[in-house]
Amino acid sequence: MLHRGVVVAVIKSGRVGSKLPTVLGQGWANDKAVCPPYQLGSCSHTEHKDNNSVKPVGGVCLMDIKNGRVTQQAKPPSVGLVLTPNPTYAGLSCRVHSMQPMRCVKRTPLPTHGERGNNNNKIVIQRGVKDSQIVKTSLHALTAAALVLPGMLGQAAWATEGDEVDFQYGHYQEGSRNITAIDSNGNFLDQKNPNPIEVESLHGHTKVSLTDRIKFAFNYVQDTWGGATPIATGPAAMGYNSALQAPDGKILSGSSPHFDSSRGLVDKHYRVYTPMYSPDFSSVEYKPDNSLTHIIATASPETRKQGDFKLSYDWDDAAISAGGGISIEDDYESRFGNLGGRWDFNNKRTSVNLGLSYTNSQTNAILDHDALPYMQADNYFVNHTNKRVNVDDPKIISGNRQDWTVNAGVSHALSQETLLAADFGYTRSTGYMSNPYKITEAMFINPDDFQYSDYTSPNYMAGFLERRPEVRNQWNVGGRFVQYIEPLDAALHFDYKFSADDWGIYSHDFSADWVQPMGYGWTVTPRVRYYSQEVADFYHSYLVVGKAYQDVDFNDPNADLNANARNLPAHFSSDQRLSGFGALSGGVTVEKKFAKGLSIETGFEYFTHQGSLKIGGGGEGSYANYDSWVANAALKVDLDALSTHMMQAMGGMDHSVHGGHDTANMDHSGHDMAAMDHSAHAGHGGHHHGVHGPAGVMFDHMLANSGDMMVGYRYMYANQAGHMLHGANEVSDQAVVAGGCGPNPCFLTSGDMVMHMHMLDLMYAPTDWLTLMVMPMWMDMNMSMRRLDGAPPDEEANNNVGNNPLSSAHIPHHLQNGHETGGFGDLGMYALFKLFDDGMHHAHFTFGLSAPTADVDIQLNRRHQVDGGFIHYGMQLGSGTWDFKPSLTYTGKLDKFSWGAQLNGTVRMEDRNKSGYRLGDMFQATAWGSYNVLDWLSASVRGAYTLQGGLNGQFNGLVNQFGPMDYPQNHGGKFWDVGFGLNAMIHNGAFAGNHFSVEWVQPVEDNVNGYQLDREGTLNATWGIMF
Amino acid sequence: MRLLKQPTHTLSAALMIALTLTACAPVQPWERGNLAKPQMALDPYPLQSALRAHNYGSREAAAGGNAAQGGGCGCY
Repeated sequence: MLHRGVVVAVIKSGRVGSKLPTVLGQGWANDKAVCPPYQLGSCSHTEHKDNNSVKPVGGVCLMDIKNGRVTQQAKPPSVGLVLTPNPTYAGLSCRVHSMQPMRCVKRTPLPTHGERGNNNNKIVIQRGVKDSQIVKTSLHALTAAALVLPGMLGQAAWATEGDEVDFQYGHYQEGSRNITAIDSNGNFLDQKNPNPIEVESLHGHTKVSLTDRIKFAFNYVQDTWGGATPIATGPAAMGYNSALQAPDGKILSGSSPHFDSSRGLVDKHYRVYTPMYSPDFSSVEYKPDNSLTHIIATASPETRKQGDFKLSYDWDDAAISAGGGISIEDDYESRFGNLGGRWDFNNKRTSVNLGLSYTNSQTNAILDHDALPYMQADNYFVNHTNKRVNVDDPKIISGNRQDWTVNAGVSHALSQETLLAADFGYTRSTGYMSNPYKITEAMFINPDDFQYSDYTSPNYMAGFLERRPEVRNQWNVGGRFVQYIEPLDAALHFDYKFSADDWGIYSHDFSADWVQPMGYGWTVTPRVRYYSQEVADFYHSYLVVGKAYQDVDFNDPNADLNANARNLPAHFSSDQRLSGFGALSGGVTVEKKFAKGLSIETGFEYFTHQGSLKIGGGGEGSYANYDSWVANAALKVDLDALSTHMMQAMGGMDHSVHGGHDTANMDHSGHDMAAMDHSAHAGHGGHHHGVHGPAGVMFDHMLANSGDMMVGYRYMYANQAGHMLHGANEVSDQAVVAGGCGPNPCFLTSGDMVMHMHMLDLMYAPTDWLTLMVMPMWMDMNMSMRRLDGAPPDEEANNNVGNNPLSSAHIPHHLQNGHETGGFGDLGMYALFKLFDDGMHHAHFTFGLSAPTADVDIQLNRRHQVDGGFIHYGMQLGSGTWDFKPSLTYTGKLDKFSWGAQLNGTVRMEDRNKSGYRLGDMFQATAWGSYNVLDWLSASVRGAYTLQGGLNGQFNGLVNQFGPMDYPQNHGGKFWDVGFGLNAMIHNGAFAGNHFSVEWVQPVEDNVNGYQLDREGTLNATWGIMF
Repeated sequence: MRLLKQPTHTLSAALMIALTLTACAPVQPWERGNLAKPQMALDPYPLQSALRAHNYGSREAAAGGNAAQGGGCGCY
């Protein structure tokens, strides 16, 4: 316990961070008695920020004061209460909700700057302690632990950190699987499937305090995936993937499902035998073979987008929350809502959570056309509400699913160094829970065949769309153990979760993390996880039916469509996710915390899935094994820390200036949206003048002072729709058919094209005349297509020069599905050099490079045994070349008026990208004027002229050319635009220091090269915070 | 405390353990400094955890326990 009397704490300010000369622990200053030297714990709940109190910095303002010395800081350098130099903050009181009883009511003037020892590097705090106060405070103090505890299992929404903005990028890459393939000569081959699945994920997160007690959190998640994945499984003796091979033997394309039941034999026990031919094929011997193979199918890229929010209200010892969201992808839409509550008791040493959530999901899946010839979905259509459609039409599976989940958890500080948490959950799911793209193979064996022989070939191998039960009850129970390791200042985390359901699946999930702070803001966390699950009751690699297969004419309206399906079990699936297996993964996370509340987090994890890793053995065969890795990088911004820094540095900088990016800078040319040089335009804006460039102008400002940083986010939406243009004129479909596709007729054109871009602006000024900038970017696009009036019959597309001879089979799919692409774009790196600045006029030059980090070789999937070839030029994600991007920017300001102009260009520094073409160079000129309608709000008008060069070269592989967007000559042009924008610079309140801007860029006149789709306009929106 | 009335043995047991431990080893607020360190957070890296949970959830049968956090179909 604490000592009566006066304690003198000598704090070396240097330990706390050179920029924070006045850190005073929690600083419960009181002129009679001072709060004891215990730890404040987390001050993450918002505090009053009147003239006499101070908002704590960061999420945690813990200080461990031992023997009167600050020995550690929980979240360097945002430790303790930071007293700004502003004398109005000299009185110190930290009112955290749950700490009200601890509040130090009377305020003692703090030492003056001199006393605080900026010069002598020491701070002296006098403390006095009263027993009564110790008791009182000890009973009621809100501790950091108590705040941390509520971050329970699955309840991260209770996270205790303060206001924050985070961005994360993740890349998931699966390894190739072993498959059995057959080449054109009929030889069976053991192959690795090409093009395994990969997923690009983007996650934006923000949490802000709306009031002291109300918090709002929002997440945006976007995943784009594509590649090959198993759709069915069968005996390797009878099933195989067709392998399209290049002359060098390399497999070129994805595979298609095939089963040839006549190839192998089965005995009366349904054991499978595979033929072993003599080298000259003169004799054959059958040997038992129980090996299996996946049938792999590829999918074109698809994108899922999810937005969700959570609103919470905190009391001193409790909190409630409500949240909801929506997740949308082409074939699946999900809406969800949740309620949560938290109660702290036992002096905040123990917390209890309760949660309730509901999800409603709708599947509308167009069945894989390539799989249709090999599977029977029609019985599904009869059994379900889906209507049976013509065999030649797309087949759509519709289904609804609902999930209710309740969970309850408790967390407890077991000792000064140990945390325990336990969690229980129950989920009830009803409705359509099958995967519409998974097929289960059924081997039909006619028992009569065994009358004459002990061996026979199966009568038929038929694929059926999988069917899972329509009810699932699932229980989870889990625990977490967190132990502080004092000598190493590290923490050991051990998690375990057991899950069981009435599908027969039960699983164990163990993981252990070692979180090791390394000093200087670095933390390294190695991690290992082991997962094992039991097989589902209805899982079968494939089904065996001891009855003859009956032929069914699916075009006959009176046919018994269930004739064969009736002989199957009620539920079946061969989705390996339901099989028995174990998974082992290991990885490491490295985090670096910078000053000013910025941190960067990167992680890597390797994952291996193996049947033999299952607890107790007996898992799925090795054919289903695969491995994968995932890498991620995140940028985290602690807004509380930023705002405090800004308070401290008041006057030191002027945040007012951010410029927008120039959409116009982007290559707007018709379908080249993907290739737009989003990257950079440089521009400094008049940071000194408070000039806000329009949202569409990139790089309109520099950072004013050495050491300044800025984090910003930019979003751009661009839409093309309407008429087709030829030069500056609208043209008829017939004219496009005749002239848009060079020597060939056109069949299709894009109906509309939408692009979304998400960009991060990361700026740093090493000196006042130079600002460095990195701009990572993600984009996703979708294009619908329509048939041109007057187009010739599809079959004629097979004769198009350069087309695959059977390519016309793709035309209906283009029309039905449209196309999507998405992922990481080109990475821009810029240096902005100040040329001139007299307070009214400012000019700077930007030297930029764009690295070809984006995919430019995205292909459409194979359909009807015909490769899709490269997707349109305009839907590739970048330029594929190293690009030079210079720009020259001028800005000015007088009273409420500001203005600016910028010239920028893009020069491709390579002759061709890896896919065989080069986007055209680009030049743009833009000028704007703006007026401050309010102190914090200005409106702008801008004009822009863009000259976008044509596309050089062409795809160096198959491209099925059906419309103008597939021909190089239909790219580039001259474009005139007018932009209307608003800029808001928040000077005070909860969002002080934040800058928001928005601009709509309206096309005025186009003069396109060749034939292109008209532009509708572009929306730009930006957010930024400088510190 | 209402929770104790729920017919959930696991939860009850956990609470009982927690309360018992509380009685014998009080951890005073000022003794919780180590517990408040970032490395001691129950989930030190929530962003990564969300990404990993999504990946696991797409490849394994056990649900993440948070059905209402979205996540999409994962039908691939």
